[in-house]
Amino acid sequence: MAEKTFNITADTGIHARPATILVQTASKFEADINLEYNGKTVNLKSIMGVMSLGIPKGATIKVTASGADENDALQAIEETIKKEGLGE
Amino acid sequence: MKYEQLAKDIIENVGGKENVISVVHCITRLRFQLKDEGKANTEVLKNMDGVVTVMKSGGQYQVVIGNHVPDVYKAVVAIGGFEAAKSVDTEAGKKDKNLFNNFIDIISGIFAPTLGVLAATGMIKGFAALFASLGWITDKSGTYQILYAIGDSLFYFFPIFLGYTASKKFGGNTFIGMAIGASLVYPALSNLTSGKALYTLFSGTMFESPIYITFLGIPVILMTYSSSVIPIILAAYFSAKVENWFKKVIPDVVKTFLVPFFTLIIIVPLTFLLIGPIATWAGKLLGQGTVAINDLSPIIAGLLLGGLWQVFVIFGLHWGLVSIAINNMSTMGADPILAMAFAPSFAQIGAVLAVMLKTKQQKLKTLSVPAFISGVFGVTEPAIYGVTLPLKKPFIISCIAAAIGGGLIGVFDSKMYMLGGLGIFGIPSFISPTEGITFGLWGTLIAITVAFILGFILTFLFGFSQKSAAEADRQFQQATAEADAEEELLGKKEIIFSPFNGEVKPLSDIKDAAFSSGALGAGVAIEPSEGKLVAPVSGTVTTLFPTKHAIGITSDQGAEILIHIGMNTVQLEGKFFTAHTTQGARVEKGQLLIEFDINGIQSAGFDLATPVVITNTSHYKEINETKEKQIKIGEPLLTLINDSE
Repeated sequence: MAEKTFNITADTGIHARPATILVQTASKFEADINLEYNGKTVNLKSIMGVMSLGIPKGATIKVTASGADENDALQAIEETIKKEGLGE
Repeated sequence: MKYEQLAKDIIENVGGKENVISVVHCITRLRFQLKDEGKANTEVLKNMDGVVTVMKSGGQYQVVIGNHVPDVYKAVVAIGGFEAAKSVDTEAGKKDKNLFNNFIDIISGIFAPTLGVLAATGMIKGFAALFASLGWITDKSGTYQILYAIGDSLFYFFPIFLGYTASKKFGGNTFIGMAIGASLVYPALSNLTSGKALYTLFSGTMFESPIYITFLGIPVILMTYSSSVIPIILAAYFSAKVENWFKKVIPDVVKTFLVPFFTLIIIVPLTFLLIGPIATWAGKLLGQGTVAINDLSPIIAGLLLGGLWQVFVIFGLHWGLVSIAINNMSTMGADPILAMAFAPSFAQIGAVLAVMLKTKQQKLKTLSVPAFISGVFGVTEPAIYGVTLPLKKPFIISCIAAAIGGGLIGVFDSKMYMLGGLGIFGIPSFISPTEGITFGLWGTLIAITVAFILGFILTFLFGFSQKSAAEADRQFQQATAEADAEEELLGKKEIIFSPFNGEVKPLSDIKDAAFSSGALGAGVAIEPSEGKLVAPVSGTVTTLFPTKHAIGITSDQGAEILIHIGMNTVQLEGKFFTAHTTQGARVEKGQLLIEFDINGIQSAGFDLATPVVITNTSHYKEINETKEKQIKIGEPLLTLINDSE
C-alpha cells in the first residue's frame, strides 16, 4: 500500500471542477484509491464521494493506493494536485 | 385497506380533495371531474406505481388503473369522503358499447402484447416456406425444420402465450394461465387422437365422437387445442374467478401453492370435459351444414364460408371443415369446400394494406407492415388480431370481400387437390394432378385478386376512421405501458424527476467543461424559472456544499445525482442560498431542499444555467433525457436504464 499526505491550498478547496479531474486521474488506475479527511474515508474514484467530504482550504488529506499500480497512481495524483494548484 | 396509499397519492396529485367535484369509475379507470385540471400533476400520476396512464377526455380527468379499479375506487371514496356512485359502464364517448364491442376489445387486448412477436414469427414461417418453394432449401433440411420451428412454435403453443396475457387481463395469476395453456397442448394428449379410440359415443348419429380417454370415468372428447384461441381465453376467465375465490378461503401460509393447486385441478379438466366437446360438435355441425348448402348451391356456400371463415378460425370451429376436406380429397381426389376458404387471407391483406397506407398512428403503421408480409404467406393472425379486428370495420370489410371471393370460387367450381401451403403458396394446390391447369385455377386467381382489391378499396374508402385507429393504438399503448410499468418494478429502469420548474437545455450548453464534456456524468441543464430546488427522487443527501449552491443526492435505487445551481456560484459563498436540509439527511421526492434568489444571483453577474447530472453514469447501460423543452417539478427528466439483466 502506498500513501501520501497533502495540504490543500486552493481557495475553494476541493470543489466540483478540481474534484472531477482528480477523480478522472484516479479512475485511470487499477489500484483501489481512497481519500481520507477528517476521519472519513471515501473512494477517490467516485465524484460524489469526494465532494461529500467538502474539503476546504487548509485541509490536510491522505491519499492511499493499494494494488498493482499503486505507486504510479499516487504519483499521478500528486502531479494533478500540484498542477491544478490544489495543494502540495 | 389495500389501496389506501395509492388512493391518498392519487387524490393528492389531482389537486387535493377540494379540487374534485365528483369521481366515478368504469371497468378500468377512475373518472374525476376536477374544478381545475391545471392543479393536477399528470406526469406524477402517469409514473405512479399502480397507475397505468392518465387520459383527459369528455371533460373528465381519467386515471387508468386496471381491472381492479372498483377496489381502488372504494379506497378513494373512503379517503376523500366523496359520494360513491355506481360503476359507469360507458367507454369514453361511445354510448353504444354493446356485447360485440366488449368481446372484440377483450380479444384484441389479450393479443396486443404478443403482436410484435406474432408478426415476426409469422414472417419467419413465411420466409421458410418461400425459400423452400424457391428451392434454396429443401423441406427435409435441418435449416428449414429449425426455421419452421421458430415460425410455428408460437402458433402451436398459442394457448400458453394467450394463457399469460388473458390471465393478466382477467386478474389471474399469469403462471396459472400459462399452466392451463400448456396442459391443453401437452403432446402426449394431442397424440392420442392418432391412435385407436376406446369406444365411440353417440355412434351412428351426427355427433359420433371417438373417445380416447376418460377423466374419472367421464368420456373426454379431445380436440386439437394448438393454435386455438377461444378455449384458453374462456379457461383463463373462469380460472381468474376460481383463483380469486380460493385466495379468500385458503390460509396465507399455504396460499402460494394451494391456490394454484385447486385452481388448476378444477379448471383444466373442466376445459377438457366441456370446451372440447362443444367446440368439436359445433365444428361438426358446421361441416355438415356446409356440405348441405354446397349441395344446394355452391355459390351460396362460397359466400357464407368465405365470409365467415375467419370467425370460425377464431373460435376454433374450422377444424370441422378441414376434416371434411381431407375426407373429400381421399375419396374424390379434390375438395371444393376448403377451396372457398382460400380467399379470406387475400381479403385480409388487402384490408391491412389499406390501413398501412392510411393510418397516421405510428404503432399501427409499424405493425401493419409485418402483418401484411406474413399475411401474404398465409399467416393471417397478426393481421387479424393486430390490425383488422381491433379496428373492427376493416375486419367486417375483409369478411365481405372474402365472401365475394368465396362466392366466385363457387361459381368457377374451383377445387383444391391437396392441403398445400397457405397464402400465395396455396395457389399450386389448385393445379390438378391429372388434368393440369384447369379453368378452376384461373377462377381461383380471379377470385383472390378480387378479394384482395375489394378488401383494399373498401377499407381505404370506408373502413378507416382515425378515431378507431386511435382507440386501437391506445390499447396497444396501454399494453406496452403495462409492460413498461412492470420493467420499472423489476428494477430495470429508474426515472429521475425534475427538481426545478424551468427550461431544459442540453448539457453541452453549460459553459463549464467539467459538466459540458460529460466528465461529471450524463444529464441535462435546466434554466430554473423559480428559486426552488426539490428532491428529484427519494433518497439520501450525500453531499451538501457548505456554500449551499450544489447538492448531491443518492437515490434509493443507487443513482447519484449532482445538481449544481448556476455556474461559479461557489464564489457567492452561500449568499442568496437557503438550505432546508443537511448532508446525510433522508429526503422524499418533491421535498424542498434549497431555496435561492434568482434575481440576486443574476444581478451579481452569475449565469443560472444548472446542470443536473448522474455522476455514476458508468453504472447504467443508457441514460435518456426528456424531449420536453419546458419542465415542471415532478415531471420525468431522465430515464436510467440498468446494466444488470
